Amino acid sequence: MDLRETAEESAFRAEARAWLEANVPAEPLPSFDTEAGFALHREWERKLAAGRWSAVSWPEEYGGRGADYLKWLIFEEEYHRAGAPGRVNQNGIFLLGPTIMEVGTEEQKARFLPTMATSEIVWAQAWSEPNAGSDMAAIRSKAVSDGDDWVVTGQKIWASRAVWADWCFGIFRTDPTAERHRGLTFILIPLDSPGITVRPIAQLDGDTGFAEIFFDEVRVSKENTLGGEGKGWSVAMATAGFERGVSLRSPARFSEAAKRLVALWKRVGDPSDTALADAVTDCWMRAEGYRLHTYRTVTGMIEGKPIGAEASLNKIFWSEMDVRINEVALQLLGPDAERMSGPNERWVDSFLFSLSGPIYAGTNEIQRNIIADRVLQLPKGV
Amino acid sequence: MRFSFTDDQQAFADALRDLLTKECPPSLVRSVWEEGTGHSAALWNKLGEMGVLGLMADADMVDTILLFQELGRAAVPGPVVEHAAVVVPALGADPAYAGLLDGSLVATAAGFDGSPYVAHAAISDIVLTPEGIRRGFTATDLEGLDHGRRLATIEGGTTEALPAGFDAAAAYDRGAVAMAAYLIGLGERMIDIAAEYARQREQFGKPIGAFQAVKHLLADALQQVEFAKPVTYAAAWSMAPHEVSMAKALAGEAAYRASRSSMQVHGGIGYTWEADLQLWMKKSWALMRAWGDPTTHRRRVSAHVLS
Repeated sequence: MDLRETAEESAFRAEARAWLEANVPAEPLPSFDTEAGFALHREWERKLAAGRWSAVSWPEEYGGRGADYLKWLIFEEEYHRAGAPGRVNQNGIFLLGPTIMEVGTEEQKARFLPTMATSEIVWAQAWSEPNAGSDMAAIRSKAVSDGDDWVVTGQKIWASRAVWADWCFGIFRTDPTAERHRGLTFILIPLDSPGITVRPIAQLDGDTGFAEIFFDEVRVSKENTLGGEGKGWSVAMATAGFERGVSLRSPARFSEAAKRLVALWKRVGDPSDTALADAVTDCWMRAEGYRLHTYRTVTGMIEGKPIGAEASLNKIFWSEMDVRINEVALQLLGPDAERMSGPNERWVDSFLFSLSGPIYAGTNEIQRNIIADRVLQLPKGV
Repeated sequence: MRFSFTDDQQAFADALRDLLTKECPPSLVRSVWEEGTGHSAALWNKLGEMGVLGLMADADMVDTILLFQELGRAAVPGPVVEHAAVVVPALGADPAYAGLLDGSLVATAAGFDGSPYVAHAAISDIVLTPEGIRRGFTATDLEGLDHGRRLATIEGGTTEALPAGFDAAAAYDRGAVAMAAYLIGLGERMIDIAAEYARQREQFGKPIGAFQAVKHLLADALQQVEFAKPVTYAAAWSMAPHEVSMAKALAGEAAYRASRSSMQVHGGIGYTWEADLQLWMKKSWALMRAWGDPTTHRRRVSAHVLS
């Protein structure tokens, strides 16, 4: 065990810091869940890619730096420290990208990864359906084989980024006689295909961050099948593992939030209010615990221990921590916690966003079932 | 940066687990309770032979932290943490105390956390305190919650001077972080015991572990234990006081949560003297407070973060 950075890691950190200091926009960009903000975030991703910072953990041939996960964490620390924009193509770069690298063909890697790294193509996810939320195996949207094509019909919902994204990925029922987890196939679909209708859904914050996607006999080449026909469930589980595990929620985001919370306490906190001081400290401890836990997980991954159901422990931890950090900030803000702008320092926005955490990527209740079943080996429930 | 243990560190912990599975079953802990000593000389000697008791004379905390976790998994009775993590690093280099290394001298440590009581005094030859090294004292036994950790007050005997350069604050931190690891072991084992029970016990025609209310109790308990681990390992590596305090607070709280959830999963049998679960529960309730309770340690983190 050695928790010090190596000289190489420190040099990498310095390089990332220098680039970010020179390039991060001075003013925060508008939300990427607005049309103008989406375009600006795509521009930012192009800039990141030009500096080869958009997908640092990817191999160089696809636009990455071949950085190991520890370096990726260092990059994330610098990224959040610099207050750089949110990642509009995170569904692609952090979820679909690693999945393609794991199960995709060489042709698919060459075709999809470089345009993902540059955000020439921004990806939306299309997992849930109106009747397949927590029970994702209840998926009914179907893809019918017709020669070299799939013909896709059905409806997806809560599709993040779908309003302005270029492509989507999801699982579809390709064997109508198979039930539940069998007979599903992971398919990549251009959102401008004839037969697709995207209906934006306003989120709790009022922005259209997600959408419904209606598929009406949409023709998709079978070349866009990822991981093989009928293998959709296991491919999706690999993707979900990335989402719940380390890829989507790096500790730096929470470490920065905890630092901002401590700064807020120092400015407005009443030192005689020990209960609130303890609450701030608790948030800081959770963020630090999450950081250390992630460093341990990532060292394990580098040493060849795959991340499994433990990813669910991570997901519950970061999502509950995120809500807690924001709750405590609102407590500190007092009357300003009622304002949507002005002196609330965007904590109200951040509070609203944090409330999605315990729901998306599999609700925390589903994660607890996964932990109980796969880690604690309890018998399957109903 | 590398956040993992070496193969040697892991292998020693695995070997200790094997030894304790054989030499420290629940029946041994229970017999120690019933004899009223809170200590098993036979087990102590085995730990001495294996090198567990004297290791910290020249190994650092990160080499030994997994061992304390294993000792906790087995709810090993006696002053094993105080002896190995606190007294040996302080006195082990002195030839006069060579017996500490193989365990022929039994030592405990007290007074570092502000408690007026001395755990394990009656079976100890030496009590290390911030004021000096007590020997030849008379111990008055008090009734403690955990019968594998007899509490006492001591009087009389001699008080020898502490070695030059003895750092009481560092001794406190060593005790606290080793206790954190021991508490993690206790918590992990209680969850294992409860999960095993939930697989076997049937109600409404199925194992109770199939019910989400039961699953979620244990999943939450496991999460707290799993997140206390890296904090404790990092504290053992850095020995920075605020990290030690984070470890002790989180490990104590995690072990407590594990005790409550495990008992709840057991239902009525969990509230009996007969169920072995109490051997771990009562130890967790004693140790979450020993060497600084969660509130004390959280306040120390707070001073670091908010000042």
